[in-house]
Amino acid sequence: MPRAQSVLTTLAACALLILVGLPVVFILLQAVFPDFARGSLDGAFSKLAIISENERLLLQARNTLMLAFSVMLGCLIFGLPIGILRGLFHVPGARVWDVIFLIPFLIPPFIAAIAWMMTLQPRGYLFQLLGFDMGGFLFSFTGVAFVMTLNLFPLVYFAVSRALEMVGGRFASAARVHGARPLQAFFLITLPLSIPAIAASLLIVFALSIEEFGTPAALAARTGFEVLVTGIYTRLSDWPIDMSGAALGSCILMAMVLAAFTLQNWIATRRSYISQTGKPADPVKADPGRWRWPVLGLFTLVAIIGVVIPLAAITVTSLMGTISGGLNWSNFDLRHYAPIFHTGSRAGQALATSGWLAVLTAFATAVIGALVACIVVRGTGRGRAVMDGLSVLPNAIPAIVLAVGIILFWNSPYLPVSLYGTAAILLIAYIGILLPYPIRYAVARLRQISVSLDDAARVSGASQIQTLRHVTLPLLAPALIAAMMLVFAIASRELVASIMLAPAGMRTVGTFVFAQFEQGSVQTGMAMSMIAISITSGILLAVNLWLARQDSSAFSG
Amino acid sequence: MLRTTALAATLGLIGGLAHADTLTFYTAGPGNLADALAEAFQAETGIAVNVFQATTGQVMARLEAEEANPQADVVVSASWGSAEDMHERGLLMEYTSPHAGMIPDFLKHSHYAAQGVSALAMVWNSQSDVPRPDEWADLTDEVYRNLITMPDPSQSGAAFDLVAGLEAAMGEEGWGLLSALAANDMIVPGPNAAALNPVLQGAKAVVFGAVDYISYGQAASGETIEVITPSSGTVIAPRPIMILESTQNPDAAKAFVDFVLSDAGQALVSETFLMPARTDIEGLRPGINELTVIDVDTDAVSARRDEIIARFNETVINR
Repeated sequence: MPRAQSVLTTLAACALLILVGLPVVFILLQAVFPDFARGSLDGAFSKLAIISENERLLLQARNTLMLAFSVMLGCLIFGLPIGILRGLFHVPGARVWDVIFLIPFLIPPFIAAIAWMMTLQPRGYLFQLLGFDMGGFLFSFTGVAFVMTLNLFPLVYFAVSRALEMVGGRFASAARVHGARPLQAFFLITLPLSIPAIAASLLIVFALSIEEFGTPAALAARTGFEVLVTGIYTRLSDWPIDMSGAALGSCILMAMVLAAFTLQNWIATRRSYISQTGKPADPVKADPGRWRWPVLGLFTLVAIIGVVIPLAAITVTSLMGTISGGLNWSNFDLRHYAPIFHTGSRAGQALATSGWLAVLTAFATAVIGALVACIVVRGTGRGRAVMDGLSVLPNAIPAIVLAVGIILFWNSPYLPVSLYGTAAILLIAYIGILLPYPIRYAVARLRQISVSLDDAARVSGASQIQTLRHVTLPLLAPALIAAMMLVFAIASRELVASIMLAPAGMRTVGTFVFAQFEQGSVQTGMAMSMIAISITSGILLAVNLWLARQDSSAFSG
Repeated sequence: MLRTTALAATLGLIGGLAHADTLTFYTAGPGNLADALAEAFQAETGIAVNVFQATTGQVMARLEAEEANPQADVVVSASWGSAEDMHERGLLMEYTSPHAGMIPDFLKHSHYAAQGVSALAMVWNSQSDVPRPDEWADLTDEVYRNLITMPDPSQSGAAFDLVAGLEAAMGEEGWGLLSALAANDMIVPGPNAAALNPVLQGAKAVVFGAVDYISYGQAASGETIEVITPSSGTVIAPRPIMILESTQNPDAAKAFVDFVLSDAGQALVSETFLMPARTDIEGLRPGINELTVIDVDTDAVSARRDEIIARFNETVINR
């Protein structure tokens, strides 16, 4: 048994245990023992009654599932076609499109929901511009699913385009050589080989839609449509606090996501999806030819609905003197930006804090994610399935509940040293919440890479570590980089865990915006969102252009 | 290399936060008030104040999660009942500020006192096509059909107090009023901001039961809304300030409470359009004496919270 491998496995297991496992255990303890946070084990199981006696909970569970499936369907409709085109064809401005489709992640979901509301509701921007409104559509089940889809479809886009790039034209070419027509080759070869990646991204979409709070809270309340997470949130954020009830609700959510995870795992492992065998291949992409303009048209359409309209609504709102003044030239005004730029403003501090947190989270999750993925896919140890399951858990728990678990664990008086109350606790929370992205992306990618590449390296005399460094990691890199960008984007505006865990005196972009919206000026909140979105997308664009440069000179594969 | 930078950044921040002479202050909004109080207090005493600002529910959730190892020294909540609850659980330190003499008796207690007070009101968009309402019951008129919003009592403590207050003042008629509003297609979209936002843009015309100071502030910044307090009576929401029994820094905590209740502190409270708790400080809006206040027995009402919420949901939201 190689020692290096067991050391790495132990390290990864410890990381997952500390980041995710123990907070979850503390939540479970809280669910069973209502007074656990007060250090007492009295009244065990007294709260379990709410599961059986509450029909509303069952209704919420049903609504949650319906919504999640609708959002998955919506994400396929929005993300799959452009993902396929991006993966197989030379789409003009491909790198720029990638950055554009990252923007939905940069917009905090509750801000996006408000932007859509201000656009579509009666007397909203649409009405002010064109004389009709779509409030009926927005405040409905379809409307909620639509807005949530727009937050999440890029997950499918990125996963599909990366996977297809890898499966590439090569297998399709082989099929073509054997007489398959292009569409036949696509449906029989390319698409099936990308199934692990598509399934992995849909799993994340599922998990994120059942734990999403902002959109259902903003929109679904208007339709009398309740989901589980709004119930959990209410138990946790309304006095008197019912932490046990919230923990129980979270257990139902966890069960749902674990079921979805098992299904996805079964799809991904029941046969081989290996497409990367190490044979030299140019990732040839086809030229769209005369389809160039329709393809660009489709990308533009998706970008307008998913990015331009919400961004425009946010920008316009941030520039309005008063909301009631409406869209009049005389009502446009920069005064709501002033509180952000005045000296000593908390906004600058918030931007800096979110910036370094997002960068560190991206790197940390990538390292841990790559390690865990290698163990899960390549490892032989008994614990690897457990580890895979453990890594999907944070997706299953609403961020607010994980945050409570983190408080319960890290602030427990039994710990000799605690990071609670320091900035490090936010980093720990972010890593725990966002770890599933790199893991899911890397696992999906590794399943496409043949083990024979590792074997070849080992036969040629490379050590396990050398193999990892020179063979596996470079092949993993594209998926990891895509995941890191997602993590960076989401971490830069994370809200829920930040509210619960940020040490007193520390602000992040998310908490700043939220506070403005709750009790300050909607316009200043929107202005801050605008600034944060601009900075973050600028950084992502720069990274992408730099990568494009590297691509042309460095290795391909 | 990267790890080192990360570590340095993290340690730097830890170092910056764990300062010896600091006070930790958890508060319900408004955030700019919390910051202004913290800055002014530091300027006066040299004691730095770390502020955590969120909704009352979030503040309470955090206090509860931290109960095994409390972090906060001073807390301001927007719900009087939450202070009573914490006092009953023995979490509060007894302290009466020298400035408390000018606070009316019903706004103070041996362990906590009001910092400011808000009232519940109707907020009407004057650009809407509907007439200005004067009374809660006016909104049951057909002209307001589908144009009313109300904050959710299960998410806004103040809206809950209003429901309880209407019940206290009007008995079954209070529920009849709510039921008539529901029949008039009133929506209950969420907490206060969610109820106010559609009225600002004109999608709806009136908020039933808005927390008034936020709207006074927005009217002052030019929004075409008017805050209307029915003369038949409304409920008030005093915002208690309290010191946690667990504080390691009682002298600084007391000094901070004194500062918040001092002339300077109360002037800052007043600037946010809250009613200052002290009767000798001028507010920027009608004060408690100009309102007809419905008396609500908070203890009794808190005990019936689940029942009242359930009945509200049944009557209004139909769930």
